[in-house]
Amino acid sequence: MQNAKDTFYITLRSRLATVNPERTMMVRAVSRPGIFVQDAEAPMAQPLLDAFALNWTALAADVQLPAILTQMTCEIQYATAGTQNNAGLDRGRALEEMDYEVLKILYPYASQKMNYTQTPAAAMETMVFWSEPEFGPAVTIRDRLNRTVKVTVYAFQEQAEL
Amino acid sequence: MADLSTQNSCGIARCAATALLRANGGTTACLQMPPLQSDSSDAGQLGLNAPGFLSLPLSPVVFRKARVAMQDGQLPKYELLVSADAVIAQVSQIQARSAQALFAQACGVVVAGKLYLIEAVSSSETQGEAYLYRLLLQEACGEWPV
Repeated sequence: MQNAKDTFYITLRSRLATVNPERTMMVRAVSRPGIFVQDAEAPMAQPLLDAFALNWTALAADVQLPAILTQMTCEIQYATAGTQNNAGLDRGRALEEMDYEVLKILYPYASQKMNYTQTPAAAMETMVFWSEPEFGPAVTIRDRLNRTVKVTVYAFQEQAEL
Repeated sequence: MADLSTQNSCGIARCAATALLRANGGTTACLQMPPLQSDSSDAGQLGLNAPGFLSLPLSPVVFRKARVAMQDGQLPKYELLVSADAVIAQVSQIQARSAQALFAQACGVVVAGKLYLIEAVSSSETQGEAYLYRLLLQEACGEWPV
């Protein structure tokens, strides 16, 4: 399952770097595309603005198939307060831009599963695939707009992973 | 009417704050900062590599339990009062833009070998110059030695 989660994140990160190279963030003194796995970073008191945070929540497994099919829910959370130049009055537009980027980086809805515990990363035998995004409502917290998008990620457990 | 009088800070408030903190049980806290050689690899972003945080000592500081209402299942909160002199020294050492940037980069604070997460940062100022920083900390759940 961890390989599927890693593959999903790296795929989205690579696509984001292409879709919007300007969307970067500084985390642990590294400038990188504005997407991160929440549980692989230090806890934050406030959400990082203008970046996508991946949270893994629900998990289910179908054991009736020849290979176990895992079904994981990934919540992509993002928030924006707009830009300084527009005094935050463009936060609606900024959120819409992030919504569009989510749509772009999720398509196509599949990727080759990779093992990132090896260097260089090794391709595995199956694919990771995921559902279309399910957009939650925009939530306003003071001057910040937040949204959560749910994606269900599917992956087969390979023999090498057991 | 605007007050256009010039008020140059002579740093006496900073000196007084430092002396007060030192006299009231001043101790040392260490900010956990990202390493100078940053890890930009995939493994570093996936939680595979150890982060290798740098320990940046701040002294004198006073560490005390914050008076906040305790809630069921909530870890206790603490306050860390930090001398602006100590912060200025570390800001110039790691060439950070500001004290706020320094605290924003920090991944936590270690006090007496225990890790605390930074919840909020505020400063007390006089004549436009900070003389004391107040960090609201929450105890980290991890019980590993730091």
